[in-house]
Amino acid sequence: MGHNGTFAMARKDLGNLARSARRLQENAERAGPAAVASYTLIGAIGLLGGIGYAIDAWRGTSPWFLVGGLLLGVVVGMWELARTVFHR
Amino acid sequence: MMVQEIAHQAERAATESQGHPFDAGTTIIEHVSNARDHPILHLPAIMGIDFSISKHVMMLWLVAAFVFIVATVAIRRYLKQDELVPSGFMNGLEAVVEFIRDTIVAPNVGRRWVNTWTPLVLTLFIFILCANAIGLIPIFDVLGVLDHWVLRTGEHSFVKSLIHGGTTATANFNVTAALATITFGAIIVAGSKAHGFFNHWKNLAPKGLAWPIYILLIPIEVMGMFVRPFALTMRLAANMTGGHIAILAILSFVFLFTELYGRAAVGIGVGMALSIPLAVGISMLEIIVVLVQAYVFTLLTAVFIGMAIHVHH
Repeated sequence: MGHNGTFAMARKDLGNLARSARRLQENAERAGPAAVASYTLIGAIGLLGGIGYAIDAWRGTSPWFLVGGLLLGVVVGMWELARTVFHR
Repeated sequence: MMVQEIAHQAERAATESQGHPFDAGTTIIEHVSNARDHPILHLPAIMGIDFSISKHVMMLWLVAAFVFIVATVAIRRYLKQDELVPSGFMNGLEAVVEFIRDTIVAPNVGRRWVNTWTPLVLTLFIFILCANAIGLIPIFDVLGVLDHWVLRTGEHSFVKSLIHGGTTATANFNVTAALATITFGAIIVAGSKAHGFFNHWKNLAPKGLAWPIYILLIPIEVMGMFVRPFALTMRLAANMTGGHIAILAILSFVFLFTELYGRAAVGIGVGMALSIPLAVGISMLEIIVVLVQAYVFTLLTAVFIGMAIHVHH
């Protein structure tokens, strides 16, 4: 009885764990496009801002290319974000 | 009181004069960087590019060799069986393959292209996972301890060159940039295979808009094309480097407090009470990060390939 009870409880726990894992998996799958959008937004700002910073350092035009790069990064990132959001 | 103060100052001066003061920043960078000053194998520069085998290059090759040998041996042994029933290690490998195919590649790429793109995505996943995971194992740190107390090799020995630098190949931006370049190429190939080479490029911008909009849109789309692999590159390398830096920063408290108070006992106390429990906790978190980062890289690759195949504006 005691053994059976423990066994049944263990199985129930495993069931919960498996269900939680499956839910997590489903959420992670659904989050794919959202993750793409967020990473692209931050990536665009980082990449274009970085290029702007490098041009500023090279030509001594600080801060204009950095500002321009960051703004362009926001535009490109937002465009990618909009594309992902309106696709769905 | 005065005597105590003087004694304390003397002790501090003695500790400081024993060697260089502890520099946490330099030590941490030394432990996560590529250690180009201490190459494993020194090779001449060709056209200004240094071809020396550094620690990260060696780790990259070791991981590649490990994955190649383990997967090949397991699959060959499996195929030699009379009945194709997987057991043991092959069972685990099959679970991973099915997981990647059914939950990452198939939902994004679609049933038609699933068998075309699963091998690439699977290779990326297993390679990144192994590179991340091997970076967590303190192989070279143990070697360093052995060298310090037992082997006692010279300053320019092979063992010393092994100890310098970080172990995680995927914490190097060049490695992740190379992996992201593969993704970049895969996106173009996927689009070209599904729609034809020229149609793939035409698909970049939505159809049927007024021509002035294209003047704005085409540069934005071209930049977006480069931004995606860039985001992949930075994400993986920054995540892998970040965890290691956090652990090393917490462990360096031991030496900082020793130096601050001039007593090893204070450092050891801080280590026991704070550094070691925190470092263990972050190491546990790192195990999850290792898995999640490999998963996210492959998921994003699959989503990007899927976006090139299923274009709808």
